[in-house]
Amino acid sequence: MKVLMCTDGEDYAEAAIRFGGRLAKEMNADVSILHVRPPISPRNRVQLTTARKKLGEWNLEIPGVDHLIRAKEILTEIGLTKTAPLKEEKVSRAFRVDVHGATELHLIGLRGEMVRLRLREGHPVDEILEETDLGNYDLVIVGARGHKGISAHFVGSTALRVSDLAACSVLIAKNIKEEDDFLLCTDGSRLAERAEIIGAEMARKLGAKMTILSVAEEIEKKENAARLARRADMILAQMGIKAKQKVRVGRPSEEIIDEAKDHDIVVMGASGSSAVKKFFLGSTPLKVIEYGECPVLVVREKRGKISLQSTN
Amino acid sequence: MTLLSKLLQKRWLFIGFAVGAGMLSIPTPEGLTPIGMRALTLLVVVFIFFVTEPIPLPGVALFIAIAEVLLGLAKPAVVAQSFMSDSVFFIMGSLMIATALVKQDLDKRIALAIVSLTGPRADRIILGLTLVSALLSSFIGEHTVAAMMLPVGAALINYTHQDWRKIRNLSVIILLSIAYGAMIAGAGTPSGGARNAIMLAYWKELFDLRISYFEWIKMAYPMLMIGAPVIAFILYRTFTPEVKDLSPAVTALKEKVMKNGKMSQQEWLTIIIFIFTVLMWMTISDTIGLGITALIGVLLFLTAGVVKWEDLNNNVNWGTILIYGGAISLGIMIKRTGVAEWLSHSFLAWAAPFGIHEGLPLLAVISLMTILTATVMSSGATVGILGPITLNIASLSGTSVIAAGFITVISSSFCFLTTVASPACNIIYGSGYLKKSDFLKGGWKLILLSFVIIQLISAGYWRLLGH
Repeated sequence: MKVLMCTDGEDYAEAAIRFGGRLAKEMNADVSILHVRPPISPRNRVQLTTARKKLGEWNLEIPGVDHLIRAKEILTEIGLTKTAPLKEEKVSRAFRVDVHGATELHLIGLRGEMVRLRLREGHPVDEILEETDLGNYDLVIVGARGHKGISAHFVGSTALRVSDLAACSVLIAKNIKEEDDFLLCTDGSRLAERAEIIGAEMARKLGAKMTILSVAEEIEKKENAARLARRADMILAQMGIKAKQKVRVGRPSEEIIDEAKDHDIVVMGASGSSAVKKFFLGSTPLKVIEYGECPVLVVREKRGKISLQSTN
Repeated sequence: MTLLSKLLQKRWLFIGFAVGAGMLSIPTPEGLTPIGMRALTLLVVVFIFFVTEPIPLPGVALFIAIAEVLLGLAKPAVVAQSFMSDSVFFIMGSLMIATALVKQDLDKRIALAIVSLTGPRADRIILGLTLVSALLSSFIGEHTVAAMMLPVGAALINYTHQDWRKIRNLSVIILLSIAYGAMIAGAGTPSGGARNAIMLAYWKELFDLRISYFEWIKMAYPMLMIGAPVIAFILYRTFTPEVKDLSPAVTALKEKVMKNGKMSQQEWLTIIIFIFTVLMWMTISDTIGLGITALIGVLLFLTAGVVKWEDLNNNVNWGTILIYGGAISLGIMIKRTGVAEWLSHSFLAWAAPFGIHEGLPLLAVISLMTILTATVMSSGATVGILGPITLNIASLSGTSVIAAGFITVISSSFCFLTTVASPACNIIYGSGYLKKSDFLKGGWKLILLSFVIIQLISAGYWRLLGH
């Protein structure tokens, strides 16, 4: 499994990295950390590369790299990287233009080979999507501001658009808490079923509690929703995982947001709606991400398979 | 969806072609030949492409060559000739020389020289940075100076405080003084920027005027000598620095450079060859051409082994050379087909009632026009497109063609407002320390002041020199 974590140096991004690091550690995942810097005109790329080389000669970092270094420190704190505390170890850094269009920061001398620090330049959404696509990641973790009050209902458009457009599963991390309590949402679709399995797998690795939520849009359909919840529970039971079941009636996005207040992470399948329908009506996952107040994991099938299982 | 968004990204390409097709289908205005109309169409389309960049700029240069042949403006051999001239040799040679200089560790020496001269006071260091960036840039171009001085600035910032965000104002002043200093001096000598070579080419090709390297310095240097201190002063007043004493940074910087030891033989050799080349530019380039002189310098660098061909291959913006070749070619075409003449007549007919059709008012208008154009597109392209027109207007109205040329070239470096207009700003901005709004804060004051200064120079100093 390959995880990509995006940072812009803000506190919420650091919280996201902390969580992602924990998850990656439990799931034995490869980790890349990406920071996107503002775009520069390709016209002066030659001179910029020169300037960067010179900065290296002065032992200076360009702004943005400090975010990556900070992220790396967090991961080390968590214990994701095996840093050998040698006395004479020196961390020398060199920039290299990677084949995939990003600049990669090599931390020579540290034995954290599983961690790559990547730097891209351009528009954040475009670059995160491109990195996801080229790097063949299974999960992207994007932090988002979790405001209180009026601005609580506004997620940075970067997180929102990445979750909508990425080719793999996306975890929008806002208001990350230390304890874990997963809320698995099901609507009976195949994707939701997959989402449950993935969510359950993650929850088990993290030692978290689990609740299955099924929402009926009308009161008459409540029986059907309860049946879906039971089916999800059965799937989890086959994996040897215990979960509570819950059925609510109302508009799915509102009910999920309401229920999520008592939980820490919402897991749901990506919307199957067409682009046109999404444009006019919005999709349930997007609404939950935008108006909800807890982290959301949107599970998506990547080229026909979901490869979020841990590699043991 | 993706196809649509891709097409939308390229919308200016289609708009450009649509405007072109529209212009070709309307009747030719009075005073313009049919072939002139086609050249005018090409000029407008290229202008749109230069500003909006739907394709990479070197691609626009290729488009110019192709369109000139397809529109029947000139035969292929003529087009090819107009692309490569002594001026383009000069641009190419200058870029190669700059590469050879940057490759050495000279930035550390320069940093040491600056702080040794200025001492630890922030205001004096800022003045030193601006002046040195200006002096260097006038000889080797703003791209190179920005790339060379950026680490110096970053070092001063990082040695002053571990977290540069805590001393943001000081960081902004230091970096902008480098960018602006390098920019304002781009027109200081012919080798300071490719646009200067374009102007030299226009004077020679269109008016048969020859300006020597030394004469150029005489005309253009006062602007940077006055402009650089003004920049340092305005920046210092606009952004009040948090720290006014940089002694810790200066000490750390000196230690860092001392570690490198004495200057190596290779560094000396590089400097000697460079000074020799500048001397040749000043003395014999009148007879053998600036371009050929530059190539002699490059050959010496290669022979001495201070630069490898691979370095030149990787670190020269070859696209730039193509862009300037294209700009010069287009400029020559719009003069030959009578478009420049026609545009100048139209301008003069419009401007005469306002009294801005000759002499100093005309120069002020040219300056203003150039500043506006340079803010939206690269200064080289600005001079390339505006040059033939401004020179023609001046020539028709009896104003000095030399003064008109200089004011066009010098004004094209006043693009302090945006991060994209000048290479130096672009490179400094690309370091990630600055916000776009930082450029606006001090930029508008500097545009205003630079405009006033250049008017005073043209009214006083250039008059004295007889232009």
